[in-house]
Amino acid sequence: MDCLRLSARQLRTKRLRVALTVLGIAIGVAAIIGIVALGEGIRSQAIETIQTQSDLTLIEVHPQTDQNVTQLITRARVDQLRSLSHVTAAAPVFTDSYATKKQTFLQILAVKGDEIDQVLRLKYASGEVFSPGAYEGVVGADLSTMLQRNEGIRIGDTFIAMVREYDVVGMPSDREVSLKVVGALGGREDQFDRVMLIDMETAALIRGTDRGYDTVFLRVDDPDQVFSVVDRITGMGLEATGAFEQIRAVNQFMDAIMIVFMLFALFALVVGGLMITTTMITSVYERTREIGITMAVGASENDVIRLVLYECLLIGIIGGIAGGSLESCSLR
Amino acid sequence: MTAGIRTESLTKQFANGVTALRDVSITIAPGEFVALIGRSGSGKSTLMNIMGGLDTPTAGSAYFDGEKIDYKDRKRLIVLRRTQVGFVFQQFNLLPTLTARENVAYPLLFNYTPRMERDVLAMRLLTLVGLEKRADHLPHQLSGGEQQRVAIARALVSNPHLILADEPTGNLDSKSSAEIYQLMRHINQVQKITFLVVTHERELASYCDRTIELRDGTVVA
Repeated sequence: MDCLRLSARQLRTKRLRVALTVLGIAIGVAAIIGIVALGEGIRSQAIETIQTQSDLTLIEVHPQTDQNVTQLITRARVDQLRSLSHVTAAAPVFTDSYATKKQTFLQILAVKGDEIDQVLRLKYASGEVFSPGAYEGVVGADLSTMLQRNEGIRIGDTFIAMVREYDVVGMPSDREVSLKVVGALGGREDQFDRVMLIDMETAALIRGTDRGYDTVFLRVDDPDQVFSVVDRITGMGLEATGAFEQIRAVNQFMDAIMIVFMLFALFALVVGGLMITTTMITSVYERTREIGITMAVGASENDVIRLVLYECLLIGIIGGIAGGSLESCSLR
Repeated sequence: MTAGIRTESLTKQFANGVTALRDVSITIAPGEFVALIGRSGSGKSTLMNIMGGLDTPTAGSAYFDGEKIDYKDRKRLIVLRRTQVGFVFQQFNLLPTLTARENVAYPLLFNYTPRMERDVLAMRLLTLVGLEKRADHLPHQLSGGEQQRVAIARALVSNPHLILADEPTGNLDSKSSAEIYQLMRHINQVQKITFLVVTHERELASYCDRTIELRDGTVVA
């Protein structure tokens, strides 16, 4: 403490030089804080935008082929996914495609009504959910508009869907199936606006084969837990996609940017350090006599170094505080 | 409290080839007040620096209180300077940013002596040299004689066995010089501290028990 006080007094004798050094360090520190704050601000803003515009807690799980081994989604896998912590609901689905007689393409999502509702929290613009086993379907908002405009199909109407099949030599043939549109979903601004949901058992009967699952939709209870759930899914050899990928992309991009920013910051720090070094070297050269006296009265080399380092420390602390205050004022 | 110092064939040659000391063998008994005289460049200060552990000899040995000084043992030399030897310089060499009291207490900082104790000791010594009322003055506010008194007080603060004074009155008028010599002599007689005073003024040597004269690095008397 006494050494620190002595060092402080020593600094007071070179006020101008110390002030200039402190100013240099302060500008460097302010620049560092500013750069980091700017980078983190951009990152935070981007993530906030994604969170407000996307359904972040919805994860799509797909089979994945790795080294020629495909991890299929079986009922057991679905149960495994459903039992993951923070997963509140799971809805396995398979996809198919039909067409109307006027060749309007129908992207079919074969689901179980209660499961998909738990995951997607469906809101109906009109009508209601299909009955299990019935030849009924619910259309997304965009598809509903398209069917109404192009085909004149409204809620409650039954239409003929063309199901394309191929024989053993690959010749296509279309089978006609009557489907009733029993409901239309409200606009969601996602892929479900353009699909038709039908009961899984019905879809299997129409296709005549058990297709297995293409995708499992998972609902996670907390946006902060999404990445940990994704890690566990990929650990099972499955592929996970969703809005979280945008956050991951933003984070990766910002990490790269921050590395560049940090290089600038490092440069500023090195310059600050060099300024302190220059000041102290000058100071030490000017005080050769004083240092000699100090050693003559019994100080060791380490004692002298400690006195000089305390001065460096004080300059650094004052510069750091000044820089922080400067940046705090400018940010305000 | 007192300690003698002895040198045996001390030789000091500088890197530029100049030989400052040649086979210097002297003995100073405990409690003696000895003047080391000689012209400028005769090797007085070099001898004093070697005896105080500030410099190292090229050859020869020095013994402090019968114990050989190991010039390779830097820690031992630091302890020697810190606890057993006090220095008084021609230029006073007070730290300009410290008050008289702080200058006197300065060596104790490196002994980790508590601040209160340092202040008490410093004031006691400033009283001894007659400067208790100037304790809070900075060196530039003191006269040359007063500064040297402060320097003497600083040399005494570690309770040393030996005080090495290098031209302590070189920058003082004759009246102040006499006062400083009287003060040192008083301390020598009362506290029995050994003094080796380097000077080139023969008349001041009259204050001393005896003189040792150096000429061109060799003891001549």
